Amino acid sequence: MIKTSTQNELIQYVYNELADDACAQLESTFMHDDELAEGCSELLQLQSLLDSALKSPHECAVNNILSYSKSLSLQS
Amino acid sequence: MNTTTQVSDSALVSLYIAGNENAFEQLVNRHKNKVYTTILLIVKDTYTAEDLMQDAFIKAIHTMKSGRYNEEGKFSSWICRIAHNLAIDFFRKEKRSPMITLEDGSNVFNTMAFAEDSAEQLQVKEDTHARLRELIQTLPQSQREVLMMRHYADMSFQEIADATGVSINTALGRMRYALINLRKKMLNSNIAYDKNLYTE
Repeated sequence: MIKTSTQNELIQYVYNELADDACAQLESTFMHDDELAEGCSELLQLQSLLDSALKSPHECAVNNILSYSKSLSLQS
Repeated sequence: MNTTTQVSDSALVSLYIAGNENAFEQLVNRHKNKVYTTILLIVKDTYTAEDLMQDAFIKAIHTMKSGRYNEEGKFSSWICRIAHNLAIDFFRKEKRSPMITLEDGSNVFNTMAFAEDSAEQLQVKEDTHARLRELIQTLPQSQREVLMMRHYADMSFQEIADATGVSINTALGRMRYALINLRKKMLNSNIAYDKNLYTE
């Protein structure tokens, strides 16, 4: 059973928010703790899946923004 | 893989303030998907999400052009926070019911390379990603909020804690439960951890 504090550290780790020394400690724990390493792997897979769920706006919406900015530049 | 050195957001903002419109175009293209998805997950309507995305960037344009942009924070967090606030304001004003009406069926995920996929594989991916967005919306509000702020709006856990008035451990706990619940929901929905479904 992974401790709650370690699970929180794991989340900070996969989101690059863990301090360097804590990162190194966690990475060394992966070497002998399969459950923790598996937990990390699952989090990384979930992250990838969440990334893939990103959706793009239509090009015309983006062009509207760029045109607006350009029109402001021309006015000034 | 892109091996060229990417110009930082901060440098692009400086260039834009100095009058370089190409720099702004790069900023928009770099962050449009996260901004759009952040809004879409709240308002649940593609057309409204595009309108609000435009409003968010226009707000950003005015702030940067008027010299009020604070360079201390990350541009990505800042623009996504503007988007998040606009979406929440819209949601409150409209008093919308939390209906899931995400897909209009017309869009593909044009951020991904699908050149080698068959039409059937493409459809499976689209369905999976659409289902995933629906599952995110079924998470408890506090968990969904942290997941969106951290994953899509690019805010740090400390920024989320400050914005939502909780401790960083509570924010981390909510994120943990959000991911645990999402995983359970995915398994129940037969959304497997299949790398083919999300690799670019």
